[in-house]
Formats: sequence, structure tokens, C-alpha cells
Amino acid sequence: MNAPSAPAMVQLQGVTKRYGEFEALHSIDLSIAKGEFVTLLGPSGSGKSTLLNLIAGMIGPSSGRIIIDGRDATTLPTNRRGLGMVFQNYALMPHMTVFENIAFPLQVRGLSKDEIRRKVTGVLDLIQLGHVAGRKPRELSGGQQQRVSLARCIVYNPALILMDEPLGALDKKLREQMQLEIKRLHAELGITMLYVTHDQDEALTMSDRIVLMNGGRIEQQGQPDTLYFKPETVFSAEFIGSSNLIPGEIAAGEGGTVTLKTALGAFPVPAPDRPVRPGDRGVLLVRPENMMLTDRADPTSVAGRIEDSILLGGVVRHFVRCADGSMVIVQELNQPGRAGARRDETVRAGWTMDHARLLPPPPDTTLPNTPLSAG
Amino acid sequence: MNPLFGSSHIARRIVTAAAWLCYLFLLVPSLIVVPISFGNSGQIEFPPREFSLGLYRQFFTDPAWWGSMVQSLVVAVATTAIALLLAVPAAYALARSELPGRGLLRGLFMMPMLVPVIVLGLGLYLQFSNWGLLDTTAGVVLAHVMLTTPYIMISVMSGLQHSDIALETVASIMGASRRVVFFRVVLPQLGPAIAVGALFAFLMSLDEVVVAYFLTGTDAMTLPVKMYSSIRWELTPVLAAVSTLLTVLSLLIALGIIALQRKTEAHS
Repeated sequence: MNAPSAPAMVQLQGVTKRYGEFEALHSIDLSIAKGEFVTLLGPSGSGKSTLLNLIAGMIGPSSGRIIIDGRDATTLPTNRRGLGMVFQNYALMPHMTVFENIAFPLQVRGLSKDEIRRKVTGVLDLIQLGHVAGRKPRELSGGQQQRVSLARCIVYNPALILMDEPLGALDKKLREQMQLEIKRLHAELGITMLYVTHDQDEALTMSDRIVLMNGGRIEQQGQPDTLYFKPETVFSAEFIGSSNLIPGEIAAGEGGTVTLKTALGAFPVPAPDRPVRPGDRGVLLVRPENMMLTDRADPTSVAGRIEDSILLGGVVRHFVRCADGSMVIVQELNQPGRAGARRDETVRAGWTMDHARLLPPPPDTTLPNTPLSAG
Repeated sequence: MNPLFGSSHIARRIVTAAAWLCYLFLLVPSLIVVPISFGNSGQIEFPPREFSLGLYRQFFTDPAWWGSMVQSLVVAVATTAIALLLAVPAAYALARSELPGRGLLRGLFMMPMLVPVIVLGLGLYLQFSNWGLLDTTAGVVLAHVMLTTPYIMISVMSGLQHSDIALETVASIMGASRRVVFFRVVLPQLGPAIAVGALFAFLMSLDEVVVAYFLTGTDAMTLPVKMYSSIRWELTPVLAAVSTLLTVLSLLIALGIIALQRKTEAHS
């Protein structure tokens, strides 16, 4: 999705942000194409909000350049960047009505009264909130307030809309509804959006591209299904979706297959794109939904005892305790008439080799005070 | 019946009674001037033998009294206006900027609250006598601006703490300049906090006596100074009428402040 031909709306070149000794962002390079919906995903402290604030101009980078819409904006004041932003707490002006809130950015731009009335009425219709135009924000529900805050952005057609966990304060059902609404507005209006969240489901639902952040760096970026099916690191695999991870050492490799020697046995794995050598450490990844309970002692299976089975509606999760004490999760589709939990039964959890992925070992975080592991 | 509940009930009654006694102790001396002010004789008497508005008539017709009342109002209004122009921008700057030496500046602004008023009065007296500001309206106003600015600043800074900084950020992202952000986002939200600070400043200036006593003579004499010298030299019952008027005015302003504070709390 990172098509080089599409003109970039935002380009970050080697952007670093330091707070004293602490490096919140390490030399970030990122390009967002016009009309793209990009999500910055990561745990708190991963630098995603810092990145957003840098683009908004609320803070300046320690080094690097920020280019917005072809123009160097590194030192441009916030109010001249032509952006829009939606906050988690809505940030609507409490002393203005809904209409006045949406009219504010247009007044700042010196539009005529008639034009303002026409545009505000237009977006109020778009978000279906025309009937509350005269109310104060505090008289609206959280979902309505966030829609007003969206409308306030859309109305002046900014080059880029930044969203900082905009749905974080809403309950689950409303959140899902708003996700679809934001997607719809994005599709209809074609505005470039940069969305920050720590919620993987939200990122998977909404994005054209996910940028996964970890410790002030970009861990991996790509389309949602790429991140889900082809994680490149243990962090990516664990942050998006759930995963079974079996650490081991590469024993041998021939053709497209390498063998990983682990505490649970030696398993064949498709060779990764990066070069690997026998003796390298590696981690085997199989998603729970790609595992199944089986009786056959395939080379791609582990033996264990079912410790628990839980019903999650459409799917069932089996927790299988292996010989070395580690846990493997098997997720199967729920079928009518399916036998219930077979607790304490000895089983094998198997997978097909194509569904397994060999990841590099996670960076050793046990080393004390390495500068790279800070943050 | 829970004995514990019973005993705490009695304890609460005792506390309530004690509180009321304290209130009475504080209030009665102020309230006693009210009946006295409606008396009708050449001297202060309580309770008055007959009621009349004679003392009030005397107050409003004697230019010495009436004039100092006008002088006090002029000083209070001018003080409030100038102190607002100083304190509101200063409070905003101190609360929102990352100015180096911010703490020091804040300390300097708050200083007049900490220095004993009598010391301030003496210092201003010595300084103003060099500048020819003694016994001038400008001199008193200047001194009162100094005294009241920190109070307005405290009120405004606490108002700023309640107002979400994200509102200023979002306004600036939407394209608003700093000036527009200040006048259209910050000021409207600070309305009640500014009004509370202004009323405080007005009230303080209106009954400030120590510094004004140092700085004024016959020309720029404010009402409290006039009252003070009147107590020392003539002890006229008009004092009771003046006191009653001042008490009513203070009460009204205090009620105004309470109403405004309620409004702010309801907002946030």
C-alpha cells in the first residue's frame, strides 16, 4: 500500500524526539499517501502520540524533517499546517453551541456568513445531527459529541485529519458503530487520515495500512492482513491477534524448509525470507485458529493434556498443557452437536506446515541498562 | 436504636451549637451598627430611642462624607480595571507558557500578598513622596493595583486549571492564531473566574485602610480613611450609617462571588 507513485500527504524523514536522555522516537521515516487511512498502533509509551503531536506541531522534533502536502512544515506553527484533529475527549468548546463549534474553523478562515451557514448545515446533515445544532456540547451524548468533533474537522476540508484514540471514551457497541461511520466518511470524502489507537481490532477494522510502533520505533508496517498473517517479529505476532510461540534453535535447512529444534520436538517450518543459518535461535508461530486437535502423531504437532476448554460463542478455545509446562491454545469452530470439553484428555495439537512462521528471537531484554532497550 | 448513632447525634448537635456561637461572635459586632444607624440623636446609642433616616441624610448631604465615598468608588473602579488588564494576561502567560524563570515571576507577582500591609504602606509612602504621588488618586490606585493583582491572578489561574488545554490546541490546529485563541476560546471560559477576581479586587480596594491612610491626606482621602479619622477625632453616629452601607455593599458583592463560583462549578 506504500505506493511510491501516489503523492505523499505527509513525509517524515529521520524524525527523532528526545526528552533529555530519553529518546521517545528514534529516527522515524514514514510516508502517508493522499487519501490513505493509516493507523499508528502500539502500546502506551510506544511513541505513537508523540508522533501525532509532532505532525500537529504541538511539539518540535529534535532532528529530522516533517513535510506536509509537499511543504517543509518542520518549524511551521500549528495554526498554519492546515490540519484537523479529533481528540479522545472531543475537545468541543463548552461555551459554543454545536453550530458555533462547527462554524469556528470557517470563521477563522474568514468565510462569509452565508457560506458558513451552508457548509455547517451540510456537514450536520452528513452526520445526521441537524436537530441538535442549537444545543451546547454538554447536552449531547458521548457519541454525538464525537460526531460533532468529526464534523468540525470535515467542514473545512483539511489536508489531513489526525485522530488521537477518538473512540476510547465510548462503550463497545457505540465504538463499533463509530468505526464504521468514520470509515464511511473516509471513503466518501477521500480525506487522508492518521489514526492513533492501542486497540488492535480497531486498527484491523479501519486501516488501509497499520504502522505498528514499539519503543519509539516502527516495528512493522503493512496492510492489516499482512500484519496479521505475516508478522515479522514476536512483538508484532503478540500485539496483533493471539499466538502460540515455541522458541528453539535452527537445526538444518534444505530447500524451502528449515527444521527448528525445540523443547517439544523438532518441527519443519517454511524458510523465512531473511537468511538463516543452523545454530540461529528462532521462534515458531502458529495462530490458535490454525491449530486443531488431532489423534495423528504428525511431525507438525505437539502432545499435551487439555487443561480447559472455553466457549466463546462461535468458537471454542482449548488450552493444552505440553510436556515442558508451556501452554498451546487451539481454537476451533463451534459446531452443533460437538462434544463438550474433554478436560484432562491427552491430545495432540497439530497444524499444517504452511501455517507456521519462523520469527527471529526477540531482542534480549534481560540485559541490564542497554541504551537500546530504554523506553 | 444504635447507641453509637445516638452519641454521634449528640456530638453533632454540640458542634452545630458551637459553630453558631462562633458565627454570632463574629456577626453581632457588625450587625449592631445596623440599628444604631437608624437612630436619631447626636450620639451613638444602642438601642436607639426612635428610628429615622437622619444619619443617612447627613451622610449623603455632607460633602466630606459623600466626597470620600465617591473617591473610594473611583479608586476601586480604576484599581479593578487596571489590575484586570495586568493580572489576566499575566496569569495566562504564567499558566500556559514555558517561560524560563516562571516560578520566580509567579513569586514576584504574589509578593504583595505576603509582605505585611503596614510595611508596604511605609515603603510606598517613602517612595511616593519622592515621586510627588502622595495624596493623589493615581498614587492610591497604583498601590491598590499592587495589592489586588495577586488575588485576580489566583482566581484566573485556578480558572485556567479547570479549562481544558486541549481546547486551545484544537483551536490552533483548526487555524486560529494565538490572538483568536485567547479572545474566542480562553477568555469566554474564564468569564466567571475573571468576574470573581474583579469583585474581590473591587471589595479589597473599597475597604482598604492601612495603605490608603499612609498615602492620602485631605485631597485623595478614601472612605475608610475618612471613617478611621472620624473615629479618632469626632466619633459621630454617621459612622454607623456608613458602616451599614459598606456592609450591605460587601454582602451583595460576596453573594455575587458565591453565585459566580457556583456557576463555574456547575460548568466543570
